[in-house]
Amino acid sequence: MRHTYKSLFVGSALLLSVSSCNFFEVEKVDDPNNPTVESVLNNASAAQIAQLGVGIQNVMRNGFTTQYQISGAIGREVIQSASTDNRYFTEILGTQPLDPAGIFFPWYNSYSQTRRQAEIFLLSAEATSNLTVEQKAGVRGFARTVQAFASLNLLNMMGNTGIRTTFTDLNNPGDLLRPGPFSNYETGLAYVKSLVDDGASSLDKSGAAFAFPMTAGWTGFTTPTTFRRFNRALAARVAMYQKDWATMNTALSQSFLDLNGSMTTGPTFRYSTTAGDATNPLFQNRNTSGAPIVVQRNFISEAEAGDTRLTAKTSRRTNPRASGNIPASEFEVFMYANNTAPISIIRNEELILMAAEVAVQQNRLADAVTALDKVRVAAGLQPLATAKPTVVGNQARLIDEVLNQRRYSLFYEGHRWFDMRRYDRLAQIPKDLPTHNVFREFPKPDAEVQWDARYK
Amino acid sequence: MRKRLLGFLLLSGLTIATAWAQTRTLSGVIKDASGKPIPGANVVIRGTTRGTTTDSQGRYTLSDVPANGRIQISNIGFLATEKTVSSGQTMLDISLTEDVSNLEEVVVTGLASSIKRSNAANAVSSVNADKLVGTTRPATLDNALAGKVVGANIVSNSGAPGGGVSVRLRGISSINLTTEPLYVVDGIIINNSQFNTGSGSRAFSGATTTSNVSSQDQSANRLADLNPADVENVEVLKGPSASAIYGTRANAGVIVITTKRGKSGKTKVNFGQDVGWAQALRFLGSSNWDNAKIDKFFEVYGISGYTPEDYKRLLAESNGRTWDYEKLAFGEKGMLRNTRLSISGGNERTKFFISGGLTDENGIMKRTGFNRNSLRANIDHKLSDRIDVSMSSSYINSSSSRGFLGNDNNGVSIGYNIAYIPNFIDITRRADGSYPTWEYTGQNPFEIIDRGDNLDRTNRFLQSGSATLYLMKKEKSTLKLLASGGVDFLLTENETYFPDDVEFQKQRANPGASRFTKNRSLYTYVQSFLTYNTSVNGLDLQSQVGALRNVQSLDLSWIQGEGLLAGQRNPLTAAVRTPDQFFQRSQDVAVDVSQEVNWKDRIIARAGVRFDRSSLNGDNTKWYAFPRANVAINLTRFDFFQSNIISQLKPRVAFGRTGGVPAFGNYFNSLGSVVYDGRLGAVAPTSVGLTSVGPETAQEIEGGIDIGFFNNRLSLEATYYDKTVFNLLNPFTLSPGTGVTSYRAFPVGNLQNRGIELALTANPVNKSNFNWTTTLQFWNNRSKITKLDIPEAYVGNGFGAFGRNRLRVGASPTAWYGTPIVNGQPTMYGDAQPKFQMSWYNSVRFLNNFDFSMLWHTSQGNYNSSLNLELKDEGGTSPDWGKDDDGDGIPNGADERLFGTPNNNTSYFIQNASAIRLREVALYYNIPKTAFGKLFGNTVQGIRLGVSAQNVLLFSKYFGYDTEASNFGNSATGFGVDLTPFPSSRRTFFHLSVDF
Repeated sequence: MRHTYKSLFVGSALLLSVSSCNFFEVEKVDDPNNPTVESVLNNASAAQIAQLGVGIQNVMRNGFTTQYQISGAIGREVIQSASTDNRYFTEILGTQPLDPAGIFFPWYNSYSQTRRQAEIFLLSAEATSNLTVEQKAGVRGFARTVQAFASLNLLNMMGNTGIRTTFTDLNNPGDLLRPGPFSNYETGLAYVKSLVDDGASSLDKSGAAFAFPMTAGWTGFTTPTTFRRFNRALAARVAMYQKDWATMNTALSQSFLDLNGSMTTGPTFRYSTTAGDATNPLFQNRNTSGAPIVVQRNFISEAEAGDTRLTAKTSRRTNPRASGNIPASEFEVFMYANNTAPISIIRNEELILMAAEVAVQQNRLADAVTALDKVRVAAGLQPLATAKPTVVGNQARLIDEVLNQRRYSLFYEGHRWFDMRRYDRLAQIPKDLPTHNVFREFPKPDAEVQWDARYK
Repeated sequence: MRKRLLGFLLLSGLTIATAWAQTRTLSGVIKDASGKPIPGANVVIRGTTRGTTTDSQGRYTLSDVPANGRIQISNIGFLATEKTVSSGQTMLDISLTEDVSNLEEVVVTGLASSIKRSNAANAVSSVNADKLVGTTRPATLDNALAGKVVGANIVSNSGAPGGGVSVRLRGISSINLTTEPLYVVDGIIINNSQFNTGSGSRAFSGATTTSNVSSQDQSANRLADLNPADVENVEVLKGPSASAIYGTRANAGVIVITTKRGKSGKTKVNFGQDVGWAQALRFLGSSNWDNAKIDKFFEVYGISGYTPEDYKRLLAESNGRTWDYEKLAFGEKGMLRNTRLSISGGNERTKFFISGGLTDENGIMKRTGFNRNSLRANIDHKLSDRIDVSMSSSYINSSSSRGFLGNDNNGVSIGYNIAYIPNFIDITRRADGSYPTWEYTGQNPFEIIDRGDNLDRTNRFLQSGSATLYLMKKEKSTLKLLASGGVDFLLTENETYFPDDVEFQKQRANPGASRFTKNRSLYTYVQSFLTYNTSVNGLDLQSQVGALRNVQSLDLSWIQGEGLLAGQRNPLTAAVRTPDQFFQRSQDVAVDVSQEVNWKDRIIARAGVRFDRSSLNGDNTKWYAFPRANVAINLTRFDFFQSNIISQLKPRVAFGRTGGVPAFGNYFNSLGSVVYDGRLGAVAPTSVGLTSVGPETAQEIEGGIDIGFFNNRLSLEATYYDKTVFNLLNPFTLSPGTGVTSYRAFPVGNLQNRGIELALTANPVNKSNFNWTTTLQFWNNRSKITKLDIPEAYVGNGFGAFGRNRLRVGASPTAWYGTPIVNGQPTMYGDAQPKFQMSWYNSVRFLNNFDFSMLWHTSQGNYNSSLNLELKDEGGTSPDWGKDDDGDGIPNGADERLFGTPNNNTSYFIQNASAIRLREVALYYNIPKTAFGKLFGNTVQGIRLGVSAQNVLLFSKYFGYDTEASNFGNSATGFGVDLTPFPSSRRTFFHLSVDF
């Protein structure tokens, strides 16, 4: 009897000696191949904040390329003459309703992702003891500005279909299963305004320098103070879509608007052939046959003679390019010299045109003409008083002129379609074929429809 | 007379027993049915641990045998017998009956326990060495199991040398994770990965457009390293009811492999030599051309590189000569060679088995083959009456050269390329050594055969050991501690290479490509179990408690060079260098308790539960419980059962739960790295891990009955199972507005597998000069998605309109879907899994010294997504291209079966791959000792000669090199895509085996 107990005791002891304490522990394996999100959400180091800062500047580039291409096609600036998929010059030109499950939504995911990535940057900064209060405000100011940029582009594409504007906590995994409902365009704009204004007020408290490196594209905008000028330029855009002229005027005055400055002043997205970086996605070689982006014919034919912007942005093809039964375009887009050329985010030329527009709207017509003439002269045209005397002093015609100058100054930069929509002029957009139509906005992507149908 | 009251504290409770005993000495002889003495048979006093073994004359002596006690006699290959010793009896001779249905075989019931088959409550299939490789010599163990395991769907991915076999037990057990069983060799979990080689990546065959990960590398699974000749026995725990003992990694079943061990007695030396050849099993064939066909061909399928005029000119120049490119490429007679030497023996205390094996196989294509050199030493030692130790050591060096086959976008895949080459165009190698350019794909396939390399080399150590410590050894009870563990270390290196002056490389921006891959894997496993056996009131009780730890780590890296200096292979000097590095590690621990009750072999019941935690789960501290319970009733052992016909009648039922661990990284939320403005940046992911991810769990109930007639010369094992897998992990698409596209793994639904397994074994003739044993097996399985929380979705790999698998409630997840799309829903076609399978194994011993055996196997109702005919049609080379079966004036090859023609749809590509196959056949002759005895003195004990063949005959209407094919390798879904794989071969051998 005693022997039995003894044996059991010895046996258990032996079992446990093999099975020592650590034996039953299983390590929490963090990804050995990549840093984890958790690692930056919990007291991130200064180096981690710096890397997230570079990362967010990188992903801010995502989305606008396809937006320019797609909105450029709807706004009849360009035609995407894809040889392998005719949807690029049929469906998008309105031969049929936009397919919610189709190919024209890449920007939707990109902008939404950038918005969340900026949020994680912000959360990371707020949860670390390695940044000063001012540096945290700097991250918040930058992240909110990036979110406003992405959200405004997203919202303009979606129009009154709207966007999701409420997320209780973008980082909480559970909340990914409970996104807020779609807000309409007005509510969406208010959301974007709150983002950009939160960005500005944070930048006001951000001290002298950011806690992360500002990449070369932000030259001239690398400190909280100077970056705030970009934030205000963006705020002016938001106010413009809200038709809040007073706010727009104030925002412009705090931006980097310079009536006498260079048209090209402003931050840019940069590109390189370095591994891990991207090349300029809007660059195209001349006279390619695969899927060239050609210029819609009216853009050329309706231009004022001598407009240097035509030669700066387009190039004559050696053989005109037809897309399906759409009459051939003789010109193609050629805005970037090579695949590492930078792309402007917002530049002084747009700010001058915004200044002109707000002046017309506030009935300061002389100011408007002054601003418009800056752009005209820079484009090799005569001042309005010489070229179009009837326009001067005529508010309605000046609006036409603002839109016309925006058409040529901001060609293929994602403005034309929105401009025509906000002035209710979609009907004036030229259609190449009678079967074509001009969409007002994008429908909800199929994935969102599915989601709401299933999980709302 | 002694009276003793024993109280045992069991791990499961307290029981009290009382026993009386009176003793005497008993002796006798154990013989077989023909009266020959059986040496080495076990004779044990029932209910005790005391016993002995018979000597070379079959004699035994047992002391202290209680009056009216029962003694049990057992020996491998014979049915165990129990005899009551009547009072006063001192002599007892017993004859044993041959065990045709393997009832005495021991099957696994726990991680440290086993039971004889006649008492098992599960339908555990086991395949012994004789059945495994006794007929012929499949190159790999999984291949040797094909057709032999009821309930298993064992399918070769291709005919490439060195393996690549998928094993699916009782349907599929997952939709995205692995559905290959867990392999356990001598007690340790081993690595059975298919490592990527890069051969399918952009720089090589271009099957995938990405430069790194490729599911189309057509690589072998690493079970290929194990030498089948070293294997004594394979037990297949097919479903959770049996595999629950392996807990969190056992959803797809477990294959328990035991290698050979020494037996006490005279040292035996066996030398074996096989020589043979491999030959292509089938060719697809081609067709002839005339000018009319050329016109028609170019009308429907204009190809780049040639005009109709080119073809007509080449046809005229050929002067009626044709070239059979399949035969030129796959027509080699591949030499097969196997050499084995084993030495085994030992005494009461120490036993050993040492073996060495050399396998050298050439493929049916030039410069392909498989090599395996293995060494093994298995040693058992009885340290004392109370301590046994054993050790199993093995070193393996294996390598293969597999060529470039399957999918392709660079003109590299041999079969793919040949499908496009008309038989009148001469692209054979010229006398000056040059290869004429085949303009269509831009690459001459024979240049690839001669100059491309797709090699792998593995060095592997398998090392396991165990120690059994009897803490208590008493008349009626024992307590033992079994500690065991081991290591599986392997390094698989791949080399994939094309010289810079190969035609298609010359056209690349950076000609010449090489990739060197290193896959290092280390698995360690330890377990420790306490087992307490006792006998109380006629009940044999076994209580067990134990713990284990399983650690796995992988280190996978490669470096690729594109743009090589002339003649150089080292990627370091290449124009474009791409490195890759991937680490993976995981740990599982488990504790297990179980209790078995055996009432006089009449009712045997067992229940247990295992608790597992794994670092692969989102919560590494959480224990998941995997319970099991089963009962078997041997009706024939009851006193009321009196029958001369029915010798065994055993209803049984078993239940069990298992897990399937999430894939590595399923809970990770990892930052990506980017470079911007020359600076390194980090960005948050756009698809995220599920921090709460847990295992897929499977639950199975299995019931059956085992019936034996006429002393078990005829026996039937019938089983029905119902297995449900819960919480299938699948990517889960989120609202894209959140900025996250999906959870990489999310529990989305349930899957059910149900099936019937029947095994009928008979020994119809048992004469001294003619003994025939036959086994007929039938099994089926139906897989069905029973719950789905996401919209219908495609799953697994596939080629779009050529067929994809899809998740749909009520349907099989391996059914094919495709065009036409009706009301937004794709059309469903046949299933990649068979409706049923049957196999028929026969073994005949005749004229004393001849052994004949054969294995037939059929798989019915399984469908492949086949692109073979499509490629041939596109090339104008299908055998019936020019015929017009439907009489509409359009030749078959240009008619609606051609992809892209107006009436074409997926039905033309989902092809019935049912087949009847003579898998194995052999005839052996044992030279009578009288014939050579004098020749070698007395050193030679036996000589055996034989001839055998594997994959002998294939009957199927299916158009392909084999009905078994999987372009995407071993995968839970998306298998059965057939795209000109390495053709299967028929293997013929001559055998010589000498025992010393």
